[in-house]
Amino acid sequence: MAKSFLVTMVGIVLLMGTSPAYAYLDPGTGSIILQALLGGIAGAMIAAKLYWAKIKSFFGAKPEPTPSIDVENEQ
Amino acid sequence: MNQAVLDPGSFRDPGGHVFHHGNRVYRTVNPAVAEDFDKVEASGLIEELVARGWCLAATKVDRDLLGSTSDQPTYLLEHPKIELISYPYEWPFRALKAAALLHLDIQLLALQYDVALSDASAYNIQFQGAKPVFIDRLSFVPYRDGDIWAGHRQFCEQFLNPLLLRSVLGVPHNAWYRGAQEGITTQDLNRMIPLRRKLSWQVFAHVLLQAKFQASAQQADSKSSAPEARKVGLPRASLTGMLTKLRQWIAKLEPRGADKTVWADYATSHSYQTAESEAKARLIADYAADVKPHMIWDLGCNTGDYSKIALEAGAETAIGFDFDQDALDGAFLRSEAENLNLLPLFLDAANPTSGQGWGASERMGLAERATADGVLALAFVHHLAITRNIPLRSLVSWIVGLAPTGVIEFVPKQDAMVQKLLSLRKDIFTDYTEDAFANYLSEVADIVSATQVTESGRKLFRFARTGS
Repeated sequence: MAKSFLVTMVGIVLLMGTSPAYAYLDPGTGSIILQALLGGIAGAMIAAKLYWAKIKSFFGAKPEPTPSIDVENEQ
Repeated sequence: MNQAVLDPGSFRDPGGHVFHHGNRVYRTVNPAVAEDFDKVEASGLIEELVARGWCLAATKVDRDLLGSTSDQPTYLLEHPKIELISYPYEWPFRALKAAALLHLDIQLLALQYDVALSDASAYNIQFQGAKPVFIDRLSFVPYRDGDIWAGHRQFCEQFLNPLLLRSVLGVPHNAWYRGAQEGITTQDLNRMIPLRRKLSWQVFAHVLLQAKFQASAQQADSKSSAPEARKVGLPRASLTGMLTKLRQWIAKLEPRGADKTVWADYATSHSYQTAESEAKARLIADYAADVKPHMIWDLGCNTGDYSKIALEAGAETAIGFDFDQDALDGAFLRSEAENLNLLPLFLDAANPTSGQGWGASERMGLAERATADGVLALAFVHHLAITRNIPLRSLVSWIVGLAPTGVIEFVPKQDAMVQKLLSLRKDIFTDYTEDAFANYLSEVADIVSATQVTESGRKLFRFARTGS
């Protein structure tokens, strides 16, 4: 898990170059893009958990309570 | 006073403004935001927040109470007065942390009522003792599922980043925050945090990723993807998750190292004998019991020992000032744990907070915000006079100018502490004597009593300002 996390991080950082910036542009832009990304990850995880729960119940496992989101739980 | 006066710091939100009328504090709710105000009111959230002590009460009062002002409000609210308005650059680490947690707790609770906060200004939180309280009723707006967290960037700059500065790098936020009033930008913080600390998911996401996204959005030739991102939105469950995880993370932040600075273990290792500190405590208790100051300022409060004594003896509110971060953190913890009406604040007395922000009056200087009814300056004078070269006469008259009565400790040159301060420098302080001190004090005040409390000759001077 830690290794894949590291690879993802390096990948994301490499995708973003650095070049001259206009400092007077709205400073909230970075925050909004980050939230869209975090929201997307959380959504995907919920979907994955629901899907996993369905597979388990198909094979007769007892259904678990509604999954909670722990997208930011990785350390 | 017949005319309501607009608070000079209340201009950013045209939806309403804070006015002072004599000793009372009012907030206008203007027609443009009245509908949102009603929706939030109807949700029941505010009642719950006030009941929990998280939000300052606001009572609807007759609009005519305000008299004529620039606003034609739909509603007029009255708030109870905060004893001393304080700013995040005056708060010790633990106060800023408590404020950050309150902000997140309020947001999490508000979501359950379909209400959000429109911003994340740290200046919207004030302290009563060590208890943070949210003061801006107009920051609450109706929430719709999918709304992004509008205040996220501001939360990072005004709460998270200053906390990380101390927690990750061991640097107190106060000086930087005072200079850059809106907090510490994520891009600046990102440049300072070492790579290995960015391997934690929270630092990676909220600092590095955010800074990089911001930088790429600001590139000269790139089209911002923010409008697209805003359209995608943030589902309620994701927002709740994000707030919850941030809260868990911040709750665990501690000052890095918490290494012993000048006075960290002063309370146990300083040069007093127990009997002597008892004598000192008794004098402070007698003073507080006689004068019953409504608000006492404790200069050089350390971990708040004497503030506590003054509070127990008759003072109602204590504000402690110190420039030692560990002492302040200790005082804040004590105030929280013992439920004291003590607010410890960062102050470099040789450079007290001044008016700043828009018009240099948006954030007020310390002396303009409140006046003390009593002042304690114990083991304080020598640090400024000897270490900072503040002329003794000027220093005495500054302290006396703060409050009509008080107690000042004079520590003579032969005392171990002063000897230590002088050990590495030339003694140029020819007028640093008890006689000169007493003369300077009697120029501006009556000396009520002068009592020696240590064998080394430390003396407590209780004074009453002339003409007060």
